[in-house]
Amino acid sequence: MREGTRKTLFIFTLLVFAFFYIPILVLMVFSFNDSKIGTVWTGFTFDWYIRLFSNSQIIDAAFNSLFIAVVTTIISTVLGTLAALTLHRYGFPGKRTVGFVFYIPVVIPDIVLAVALLVLYSFLNVKLGLATVIPGHVVFATSFVILVLLARLAGLDRALEEAAKDLGANEWHTFWKVTLPLIYPGILAGALLAFTISLDEFVVAFFTTGPGSNTLPVLVYSMVRRGVSPEINALSTILILAVVFVIAIVGWRMNKMNKQEGEV
Amino acid sequence: MAKDMVRLENVSKKFGNTYAVEQLNLDIKTGEFLTLLGPSGCGKTTTLRMIAGFEKPNEGNIWINGEKVDKVEPYNREVNTVFQSYSLFPHMTVAENVAFGLKMKKVSKQEIAKRVKEALELVQLANFADRKPKKLSGGQQQRIAIARAIVNNPQVLLLDEPLGALDLKLRKQMQLELKQLQEELGMTFIYVTHDQEEALTMSDRIVIMNQGKIEQMGLPDEIYEKPATKFVADFIGETNLFEGTVMDANPSFATMKCGGRHISIPNTGNFSKNERVYMSIRPEKIHVSAQAGEEDNLLSATLKDEIYIGSVTKIIGEFPDGQKVIAHGSRDILKSCTRGDQLYLHWEPADSVVFEMKEKMEV
Repeated sequence: MREGTRKTLFIFTLLVFAFFYIPILVLMVFSFNDSKIGTVWTGFTFDWYIRLFSNSQIIDAAFNSLFIAVVTTIISTVLGTLAALTLHRYGFPGKRTVGFVFYIPVVIPDIVLAVALLVLYSFLNVKLGLATVIPGHVVFATSFVILVLLARLAGLDRALEEAAKDLGANEWHTFWKVTLPLIYPGILAGALLAFTISLDEFVVAFFTTGPGSNTLPVLVYSMVRRGVSPEINALSTILILAVVFVIAIVGWRMNKMNKQEGEV
Repeated sequence: MAKDMVRLENVSKKFGNTYAVEQLNLDIKTGEFLTLLGPSGCGKTTTLRMIAGFEKPNEGNIWINGEKVDKVEPYNREVNTVFQSYSLFPHMTVAENVAFGLKMKKVSKQEIAKRVKEALELVQLANFADRKPKKLSGGQQQRIAIARAIVNNPQVLLLDEPLGALDLKLRKQMQLELKQLQEELGMTFIYVTHDQEEALTMSDRIVIMNQGKIEQMGLPDEIYEKPATKFVADFIGETNLFEGTVMDANPSFATMKCGGRHISIPNTGNFSKNERVYMSIRPEKIHVSAQAGEEDNLLSATLKDEIYIGSVTKIIGEFPDGQKVIAHGSRDILKSCTRGDQLYLHWEPADSVVFEMKEKMEV
């Protein structure tokens, strides 16, 4: 590659990264800014973090979000795994249609699902609360789990399952000893995706949560409406770091597993 | 007489509307090394998979060691398979792979450790017990796949083109090792391959399959020397196939006419005058000389080409009508010859084989 081209591409790459990450960096920096007005740097402080942790509203919302995310992850991972295995393994009438139906939640606008759920709840006379957020999240997250897992299953050699049966493992043992360990990285990735989708989902949560039970994104939205406070910056910084941390751990572990299998 | 270890009776398997295997009857004796040989799509792998239990026959019955296995799941059959792609479990070590079958049978820990060690020693990979299979070479993975199967001491070992992915030299070496192993263990081997040389080298008995049916079964030399059909003659080894008409069908003297030439043929009494037939003669059975000898059944051809292939020289001749003929000879014969020179060919009629022309449709 010519020197000029290299330089141009390098600068272009830098600009793309700047575009991606400068807003987030600014947000993180200003979470330590000793000023009520977010736009001028006046000094370093941990005040906003301290105030954040003494704000019971935010703590409650964080726990609500975590609760919903954990429940969503468990349900959608189990459902998604079962669905993906079925879709991968068996031929049945309408299989393509069923497969397509699972993709729909990925592509339809959140707002459509949110309104649809709201209408359903009012039709069934369900009282809105924290739990009413979960079905909406499960719908989204399950689709993503299926997507991720089908990709993993496509790379799974069916002969491995046959080999297990050939060596005397019945269906049950074959699944636990061979199939599951082999698709485990896919399940983990799917679960992680489900967790993060649920954690930062706003539209469905906003529509289907009951009064008084906010999730974190919904609370942030209502706080921001009164102006961006440095507390929000602090909260966002913690969220970003937490997510990066989790993904780094999972990525590291999966990398290690792949290395052990000798695939890398 | 050894009793039958595996028995297939009128077994058919359909995929969609086409028969992969059609009305197959086959008895495999205890301790036998039997090879299913045929081109791809001939039904040999399907037959093996039906014995293993991965495919259910549409018709017919299979017995393994006297037990009818129609309703027996693969994991309850006393057979083990060595898969074409090895199919070693990538998340387990070599030792764990080999131990898998024994663990499933709930064999005691000490017993497992002992037998795994023995099996790995048998395939000379005892030092690799703690490695992951993907870290090993193709040949090593192949040996582990074999160890993983034989450690269970199965009644029958099924091998599905197990050497297909190896390079030629390693394949030759593994052929001998496998044969040796089979003799040592006295185990029944059913071996699937499309490599005729491999089949001839290793087998006690060969079953040649084509389009879901058995073309011929017999000892390797029988198959080679006395092919039962044109397909077998053509598929096994190299041969010259001549098409012609029977001229004389006397018990003592039979000839056929082929492109203006009269050729003596072995008289098996199955042919009548004027019947259209194929004749097959192996290149190494044809004697080539530069001068006409005294023999009967002497044909002349012109030298078209010679190809040096190491042990022998392949001599390609052409009859006056354009029909090509391949013979194996030594280089010395051709010392005085150049292309276009006259050559004299001769063979014993008994070395040739004649087939009816019912297979006209095939190429």
